[in-house]
Amino acid sequence: MKVVVCVKQIPDPADPGALDPESKTLKRDTKLILDESDSYGVEMALQLVDTAGEGSVHLVSMAPNNEVGGLRTALAMGAESATLVSDDALKGTDALGTAKVLAAAIARSEPDLVLAATESSDGYTGTVPEMVAELMGLPSVTFAKSIAIEGGTAKVQRQTEAGYDDVECPLPALVSVTAGVVEPRYPSFKGIMAAKSKPVDEVTCGDLGIDAGSVGWAGGGQEIVSIADAPAREAGEVIEDEGDAHERIVSFLEELKVL
Amino acid sequence: MQFTFTDEQDMFRDTVRELFADLCPPEAVRASWDNDDGRVPGLWSALGDMGVLSVLAPESAGGLGMDEVDLVRILEEAGYAGVPDPLMEHAAIAVPALAEAGSPHLAAALTGETTCTVALRGGAAVGAAGADLVLVEQGDALLAATAWRMTPRTSIDQSRRLATILELDEREELVGADAALAFDRAALGTAAQCVGVARRLLDATVEYVGERHQFGKPVGSYQAVKHHLANVRLAVEFAAPLVYRAAWSVAHPESHDAVTRGRDVSMAKAMAADAVDLACRQALQCHGAIGYTFEYDLQLWLKRGWALAAAHGDSRSHRDRVADALGI
Repeated sequence: MKVVVCVKQIPDPADPGALDPESKTLKRDTKLILDESDSYGVEMALQLVDTAGEGSVHLVSMAPNNEVGGLRTALAMGAESATLVSDDALKGTDALGTAKVLAAAIARSEPDLVLAATESSDGYTGTVPEMVAELMGLPSVTFAKSIAIEGGTAKVQRQTEAGYDDVECPLPALVSVTAGVVEPRYPSFKGIMAAKSKPVDEVTCGDLGIDAGSVGWAGGGQEIVSIADAPAREAGEVIEDEGDAHERIVSFLEELKVL
Repeated sequence: MQFTFTDEQDMFRDTVRELFADLCPPEAVRASWDNDDGRVPGLWSALGDMGVLSVLAPESAGGLGMDEVDLVRILEEAGYAGVPDPLMEHAAIAVPALAEAGSPHLAAALTGETTCTVALRGGAAVGAAGADLVLVEQGDALLAATAWRMTPRTSIDQSRRLATILELDEREELVGADAALAFDRAALGTAAQCVGVARRLLDATVEYVGERHQFGKPVGSYQAVKHHLANVRLAVEFAAPLVYRAAWSVAHPESHDAVTRGRDVSMAKAMAADAVDLACRQALQCHGAIGYTFEYDLQLWLKRGWALAAAHGDSRSHRDRVADALGI
């Protein structure tokens, strides 16, 4: 069984992020790390291959400056190989453009299953996996809390607000994995040492047959026209309890529609 | 010449940092003060699985064939996290000594199935009550014992379960292991932990003085507080490169003699001990009264810092050793 995991490499959330005043997007000129959201997909893929007793986990990522730091972490966890799409033409690519690139890169691997996080930790659009599935013509299941492969079928427990739904779909399929549903393994030192010799295929838009004009700022269906600081947090309302504070609280919660 | 750590070495450090953050938070360090064995549950086996315990054993003996330069920042992270398990004693001293002697005890030590500790130069052994093997220096030799008699000793840091080894019942000499090298490894490993503890104290104090307000401003905005913490930062940043240099000296015996190795290690331990002592005093000063309280976590690192500053030779004794090496 061949599982492809979409992996995003993001600026370290521990370091204060900054916006590029020119592109009005997040600066990505520092070392990038594996998005924690994707570590769950990597772990689930490794577990599925372990359970199947055969197969491999392949990573697909799109990142600037041929950055492989985050990919090395996932390779150290046990993934076998990776494809990195890095091209100056991709600067400013929106969610749909990203999906086009990932779909083209994933298709080269002819996977049985594609896993992705539900959303990235820096972009939060939460739309890319479903776009990739649509572009590839694959069935898509979202918010998976567990996946089992039986024959040519993926049996997925799909998390809902009330519990979970049992969903089945034929393979190949794309499944987005909810954060926190598995415990990602720590890379072992042996894994870290092995990761540096695992193959990372670095490709460009041209290699994938993608017209550079259809991605990046040129191909984006959106434009960031301005950016501004978030408004400062305003002071909360202080209520002096004159015997009716509980009613004010109930009223406040009703306004928020949580009651 | 490469003067920086490699990406791979950064990954070793980052991975261990993440493990310690998950499995050895301050609550776990605090719990080790009065639990049964002074250890953090689950940590030792996780370190064995990750390969941390086998860094200094050659691949031919089942280890990872790495060296002290790879290990030094892992021990720094152990200091930062306040790890109470005898990691330094086991991974930095016992494992290479057992490997050099071709000891049958090595295999179990590499996986973490057993725990080793050491008693060097008449000093106390950390975690001896829960250890399976203790290495004791006797003259120029290192002895390995599986049964021994001991008497507990009190440490200012109660997560360091100290004991004086009185007599070895079941023992063997580790022929091929070098007692002087074992001491240098101990001083180096302790210096690395001192740097980690100092960094933790600095981080905790910088955070505190940014939150604690007095006269309408964070106390960290006052110059007197800034100066204290800048001095700690300077001391740590001056000590760390010496510790890394000492790691290189221990890892590359082909480049120099044992006197030079000892000089480098002693420079590192002297500077790291001074740095952590300064960090302890200034952290306490900048925290004020709350820093003295048992309930506040700062005390865990203060006591670890002072204990490590004195362990395996204090600053004065290592300065004397540097002077001897230089012939002054």
